Amino acid sequence: MITPAKQEADVCLILEGTYPYIAGGVSNWTHDLILGLPELRFHLLTIVPPQEKLVLRYKIPDNVAGISHVVLQDLSLGAPRIRHQKQLFANLEEPLKDLHSRGSLSDLGNILNVVAPYKEQLGRHILLDSQESWELLLKMYKAQYSESSFLDYFWSWRNLVGGLFSVLLTDIPRAGLYHAVSTGYAGLLAAKARLEIKRPAILTEHGIYTNERRIEISMSDWLHEKPLGWLCFEKINKDLKDLWIDTFINYSQICYEASSEIITLFPGNQKFQIADGALPEKLSIIPNGIDYPVYSQIPRKEHSRPTIALIGRVVPIKDVKTFIRACAILRDKIPDLQAYIIGPTDEDEMYFRECQEVVRFLQLQKTVIFTGKVKLTDYLGGIDVNVLTSISEGQPLVILEVGAMGIPSVATNVGACSELILGNELESPAVGTGGTVTRLSNPGETAKAIADLLTNKKRYEQCSQACKERVRRYYDKAALLNRYRELYQNYLSDHIVPQLLEV
Amino acid sequence: MAGIGFAVRKLVQKDNLTGLFSGYLFSALITTGPWLFTIFALGSIALFGKNFSSPAEIDIFRLSIIYNFSCSLVFSGPLGIIVTRYISDKIYLKDVKEVPGVLVGSLGISFFLQLPFVLIFYFQYIDLPLEIRLASIVNYFLISGIWLVSVFLSALKDYAAISATFAIGMIAGLFGALYLGEIYSQAGIFWGFNTGLGVILFSLIARILAEYPYKLDRIFGFLIYFKKYWDLAFCGLFYNLAIWVDKWIMWLSPQRQILENGFVSYPNYDTAMFLAYLTIIPSMAIFFVNIETNFFEKYQHFYKDIQEHATFHQITENQNGLIQNLFENFRNLILFQGLITLFAIFLVPAIFDLFKINYLLLGMFRIGVLGAFFHIFSMFISIILFYFDLRKPALGLNFLMLVTNVAFTFMTMKMGFAFYGYGYFLSSVITFFAAYCLGYYFLQSLPYRTFIKNNSSVS
Repeated sequence: MITPAKQEADVCLILEGTYPYIAGGVSNWTHDLILGLPELRFHLLTIVPPQEKLVLRYKIPDNVAGISHVVLQDLSLGAPRIRHQKQLFANLEEPLKDLHSRGSLSDLGNILNVVAPYKEQLGRHILLDSQESWELLLKMYKAQYSESSFLDYFWSWRNLVGGLFSVLLTDIPRAGLYHAVSTGYAGLLAAKARLEIKRPAILTEHGIYTNERRIEISMSDWLHEKPLGWLCFEKINKDLKDLWIDTFINYSQICYEASSEIITLFPGNQKFQIADGALPEKLSIIPNGIDYPVYSQIPRKEHSRPTIALIGRVVPIKDVKTFIRACAILRDKIPDLQAYIIGPTDEDEMYFRECQEVVRFLQLQKTVIFTGKVKLTDYLGGIDVNVLTSISEGQPLVILEVGAMGIPSVATNVGACSELILGNELESPAVGTGGTVTRLSNPGETAKAIADLLTNKKRYEQCSQACKERVRRYYDKAALLNRYRELYQNYLSDHIVPQLLEV
Repeated sequence: MAGIGFAVRKLVQKDNLTGLFSGYLFSALITTGPWLFTIFALGSIALFGKNFSSPAEIDIFRLSIIYNFSCSLVFSGPLGIIVTRYISDKIYLKDVKEVPGVLVGSLGISFFLQLPFVLIFYFQYIDLPLEIRLASIVNYFLISGIWLVSVFLSALKDYAAISATFAIGMIAGLFGALYLGEIYSQAGIFWGFNTGLGVILFSLIARILAEYPYKLDRIFGFLIYFKKYWDLAFCGLFYNLAIWVDKWIMWLSPQRQILENGFVSYPNYDTAMFLAYLTIIPSMAIFFVNIETNFFEKYQHFYKDIQEHATFHQITENQNGLIQNLFENFRNLILFQGLITLFAIFLVPAIFDLFKINYLLLGMFRIGVLGAFFHIFSMFISIILFYFDLRKPALGLNFLMLVTNVAFTFMTMKMGFAFYGYGYFLSSVITFFAAYCLGYYFLQSLPYRTFIKNNSSVS
C-alpha cells in the first residue's frame, strides 16, 4: 500500500516497527523531529508486520508528504516462471553467499543489478518457491550448516532471505536524503536508496539493532541447538543462532557503509557500532533532548517528608525490587522517608505482585507507594531525589526532565545514565555532578547515594544546580533539533553526493 | 486408507501366524470388499436361483444388480473419497464429535442427489412390474448406502464385528432370496436379497453410532472439503468410472444383449472381466498389509525426523530408505502377481471346464487378466501418491486411465471380437508406465515437495 507522495519529499525517514503505528520512545522522537522541522517535507517508508491492522498512534504532521509500507514476509506472488530463471539464480548465488558471509555494499549492489531486469515479474513463486530457489537454499545450507536442523534452517532462510527479497523489490520513493532510524531491514532499504537514487543516506541508531536482535535470538527456544559432544575438538559447523546474528551484523555493516553519517544517542553505543564495522570517522552523537523551558518552570512543592521516586513501568528490566530493598535500608536512617513508584503496574502483573510481596515482607507499607499510571507532573514537584535501578536503559529522558527542575538523580551505570548525571569529556567547562551513578542490583550502594543527597544539604544544592545547568546546555530539544536541521540542510544542499565505491 | 492401518498393524504385530493370516484376510476383505461382494452376490443367486425362477427372470435380477452396483459406485465415488478425507482429518485431530453428523449428512446428500436419476431410470427406461421396480430402487440405495458407510468402517477398529456383519448379511440375503424366491418367485429373490443388504447397512450404521455417541452437529460441515479438495473428488469419480467405463462401452458392441424390458448388457465381457479381477485379490491384500506396516513406519519416520530437527543428510537418507522400501515391495508383488497371472492364463481352460464356463470368454478373460495386472499396479502407485498428498498427479493418472480406457475400448470394439478386452489392457499398460514415471519423479523430489510445494504453511 502506498500513499502517493503529493510531491517529492526532502527527507525520507526509514522506520522499522515504530512510528506512526507503535507508540514508544523512538516514535516520540520521530514525531517531534518531523513537527520540529516544519520547513522540510518528509516521506515515511515504514516496515510493518504482516497481516496486522494498522492503527495510527500519532496525528500525522502536515509536512509528511506520503507514507509507504513495506511488509517483509509478504512478497507478492509474481510470475510463475520466467525465461532465464536458471541463469537468474546462477547469477544470484555468489553475491547472495557473499552478502551473508561478509556484508558489503557492493554485494547488495550486485544483487540489485542481477534482479533489476526481472523486477516486475519476480515474486514469491520464483524467489522462494521455485525448484531453483530450493537448490540455492540447499547449497547455502550444505556450505555451512549441514549439521544443523534442516527444518529450522529452512524457516530461518525463508525468513531472512525472504526479508532481503522484500527489500530488493521495494520501490524507493524519491527524496533528497534518506534517513534510517535503525539498521536491520530499514538500514538495507537506506543502502538500496543510496545505490539506486544516488542520494546520501544517514543513520540514527537509538539502540544497537544487532544487540537487541542478539538478545531476542538467544532467548528464542524454537531455534533448536544440538549439544556438541565432548569429542568434538572443533566446531566445524556454525549453529543457526549464528546465522541470524551474522546476517543482522552483515545488514548493519551494509547500512554503515552506505551511510554518510552514523548518529547515536551516547558514546556507549559507539563501541558496538565500531565492532559491527562502522568507520569511526562517520560516527557522531546527537542525544535526545527535552523541552527545557517547560520542565524548568514546573514549581517545586514544599513537603514535610523526604521523598524519592522511581519513575518507570513496574517490570523486571527496571529492577524495582532493588529499589524497594534500598528503601528498607534507607528507612533505618530516615524513618519518615516516602518512596513513590510511579508508572503502570499492569504490564507484568506477576512481577508487580512479587514487588508488593517484597514491600510487605520488609514492612514498608507506610513508606513505599505504587501510584500506578498517573499524571506525572502532579508528582514531580514533590520529589527530592529521582532513582533509577534499571539493569538496561538507552537514554532515559526522565533524568533530564527532573534534572531541568533541579532534582538530582541516583541511577545504575547503564546506557547513557552516567553521562546524563556526571557529564562526558566533551563538556567544557565541566558542569559537575548532578547525582550519583551506582552499580547494578546493589541496594546498599543505591541507599547510600540517596542518603548522601537527602542528608547533605550542601551537596544536594550543588547537584541540583549542576543537573539543571547540564540539561539547559546540552539537552535542550530546540538546540538538538537544530543540529538535525543543519545536518539535513548540509546533505540536501549538497548536489555532489559523497563518493562511494560504485558498483 | 490410512485408517485401516491401525487395525492391520496391530494384527501383524501379534507376530504369530494367526495374527498375520487374519491381518491379510481382513485387509483382503476391506480392500476388495466391493468387488468380492458383487461377484459373490451375483454368483450365488445365479447358482441357486434357477431352481425356482426362469433364466430370463434371473437375468433381470442380475442386470439390475450390475446396473445398481456400477452406477452407485461411480456416483458415490466423489462423496465417498471426500468423506474419507474429512473423517481421517478429524480422527487425526482427535476431534470425532462430528462423525455421526457426517454420516447422516452424507447419506442424506447421496440419497437426494441420486433419487431423481434412479426414479427416471427405473420408471422411464426400464419396463418392470411395480414390485420389482420398487425392489430395484430400494436395492440401489441400500448398495449406495453400504459404499458410503464403508468409509466410516476404517474408523472402527473392530474388524471381527465388521467382517461378521458382512457375512451374516450376505447369508441372510442368500437365504432370504431363496426362501422368498420359492414363495414369490422373482420379486421374492429381489426382496430377500434386499433384506440381507438392509441387515448389513443398518447394523453398520448402528455400530458407527454406538461407537460415536455424539449429538448430530454440523451435518453438512464436510461439504467445504469439496471446494478444498476438488481434485480428490474428481479422483474418486475418475477412478470408479475408469473401472466401469469399458464394460459400459462394450454394452454397445454387436454381441450385446438387449432384454425386452430395456436392460442392455454384454454378459460375456462382464463375466470375463469380473473373473479376471478375482486374480488380483491376493495382491491387493498383500499390498495393503505391507504398505500399512513396514512402509507406513518408514513414511512416518520421514516426517517425524523432519519435525525432530534432522539434518538434510538424514532427511535424504530417510527418503532413500522409503524409495528402497517401495521398490522392494513392488518387486515382490510383481513377482507374486506375475505368477498368479501366468497361472490364470495357462490353466484357464481347466478352470473353465471345472466351472462349466462358456469358452467364448476365454480370449477376453486372458487379456483381462493381463490388463488387471497393470491396472492394479497403477492403482497402487496412485495410492502411494495419496500418502504424500500428491493429489494432482494422482488425479492425472486416474484421468489418463479413464480417457485411454474410453478411447481404446471404442477402437478395439470397432476392430472386432478378436480384439475385445485389448482396449482395457492397453489403457492399463499406458497408465502403469505413466504412473511409474510420475511416482519415481515425485519421490525423487520429495523433500522439495514436502517443504515447499505441499506445505500449507508456505503458501
